[in-house]
Amino acid sequence: MEYLRVEGFRKKFSQTEVLQGVDFSLQKGEILVIIGASGSGKTTLLRCLNFLETPDEGKIYLGGELLSDASVRYSDRELRQKRLKFGLVFQNFNLFPNYNARRNVSLACELLAKARVRAKKRELRAAEKGLAKWNFGKILREAKAFQREEIAKSRQRAEELLGEVGLGDRGDAYPYELSGGQQQRVAIARALALDPEVLCFDEPTSALDPELTGEVLRVIRGLKGRTMIIVTHEMAFAREVADRVIFMADGKIEEMGSGEEVFGRPKSEKLKAFLKRTEEHEW
Amino acid sequence: MFWNVTLELLKGFGATCYIFLLTLVLALPLGLVIAFGSMSRFKPLSAAVRTVVWVIRGTPLMLQVIAIFYGPYLLFGITGFNDRLLAVIVAFVINYACYFSEIYRGGIQSVPRGQYEAGQVLGMTKAQIFFRITLVQVVKRILPPMSNEVITLVKDTSLARVISVVEIILVAEEFTRKGLIWPLFYTGAFYLIFVGALTLLFRFAEKKTAYIKV
Ligand SMILES: Nc1ncnc2c1ncn2[C@@H]1O[C@H](COP(=O)(O)OP(=O)(O)OP(=O)(O)O)[C@@H](O)[C@H]1O
Ligand SMILES: [Mg+2]
Repeated sequence: MEYLRVEGFRKKFSQTEVLQGVDFSLQKGEILVIIGASGSGKTTLLRCLNFLETPDEGKIYLGGELLSDASVRYSDRELRQKRLKFGLVFQNFNLFPNYNARRNVSLACELLAKARVRAKKRELRAAEKGLAKWNFGKILREAKAFQREEIAKSRQRAEELLGEVGLGDRGDAYPYELSGGQQQRVAIARALALDPEVLCFDEPTSALDPELTGEVLRVIRGLKGRTMIIVTHEMAFAREVADRVIFMADGKIEEMGSGEEVFGRPKSEKLKAFLKRTEEHEW
Repeated sequence: MFWNVTLELLKGFGATCYIFLLTLVLALPLGLVIAFGSMSRFKPLSAAVRTVVWVIRGTPLMLQVIAIFYGPYLLFGITGFNDRLLAVIVAFVINYACYFSEIYRGGIQSVPRGQYEAGQVLGMTKAQIFFRITLVQVVKRILPPMSNEVITLVKDTSLARVISVVEIILVAEEFTRKGLIWPLFYTGAFYLIFVGALTLLFRFAEKKTAYIKV
């Protein structure tokens, strides 16, 4: 059953049409790898999926339901709700330099927890409304306890996630104290903290020194089972993890198929040329 | 004698501190408003704000103080306005808010786009992104230029005397009229001590934000 479906994505920047009608779908738990030459629109596609960019046309279906439609204008609040369905790991990490690794991971969770605490307070107040006298002390105590519990949960979760990416002992380190590979692993933990339905990676290793790419790819490999979309230039890695591969050229999907099909038996000339180029590059 | 002069000068210095503090307290937030105005996506607004900033930064503060004090009379024949200190404060606040706004603007625009976007994909609201992520980074970046501007403000307060507002230099000048020159130079010590304290304060703040490497 298809889980994610993208239909007719188009995006124009002033003159150039960067996405010229992109359609694809993905099963739950599948890994989709997107490859393609520089400027073919891979980043733009991921940015549209994460609502950092609004496509001119196109729809996203998630779990069989319409999630977004480019012709509808959503409020900030709705957009935030929709963004939470997707996670994005950036090429250059974009960690928050003013927080340590643990807080980088837990911040978003804590903020969402705060919103839940506010809702809980309203709920408690509503429950007391029927009574003749409000018991403010009790409301305050219960809300406080709830808040402590929620924040503790977020921190606990951050700690676990840091462990998962192999940085369990670096929670107190600030981003500048970490290597590029470690920073990217924190960024992955941060993206996982909100447990997105679809996790996207935009060239997660291309800002790293070659000897650091391995540790990041290992972490991504360990996430198998999640629905993921990975834009990468690491062809060996792409071939290894991909359940499905999309080759993009000039804003269109030039070829799509399993890793075996796309890498082993490329059909279009553009793809053949692209694979040849990258091969030469790697050797 | 020395003691008497010191006491007199301290009185003048009180006015200096008053102008300094009030200007700072009012110009810091106003500068932020002006900064947002000059970055507005609404073109007429940003153009208007930038023009005002250009005029204020392009003319001497002394002229502005005079203009604010005499302007209402010269333009509209209003005579009731003769609160000299108020005129000084108004001119200083407008002038410094404009300078601060440019510092803020530089600071805000130097935070990489990726920081906003990282916040956005994590479902944060605009306010959360501003207060939790960008603000501290902006503060860190603007501390050095701010310390410069604030120190300049300490010394600019002496411009208040062009419309005869009594501050430390004016007090010292009174003494020269009586034949005492040294109090004028003595005022330098007051400025030096004040600026020295500010320098330490800013250094402390910079140390406090040193952990943010941007
Ligand atoms: N905000 C923008 N404004 C104008 N043009 C843009 C913008 N973002 C991207 N483009 C253009 O869109 C085209 C596709 O860009 P995109 O970043 O999606 O390519 P890409 O496939 O990710 O390339 P790379 O492999 O180099 O990362 C490029 O020609 C780029 O110049
Ligand atoms: Mg890209």
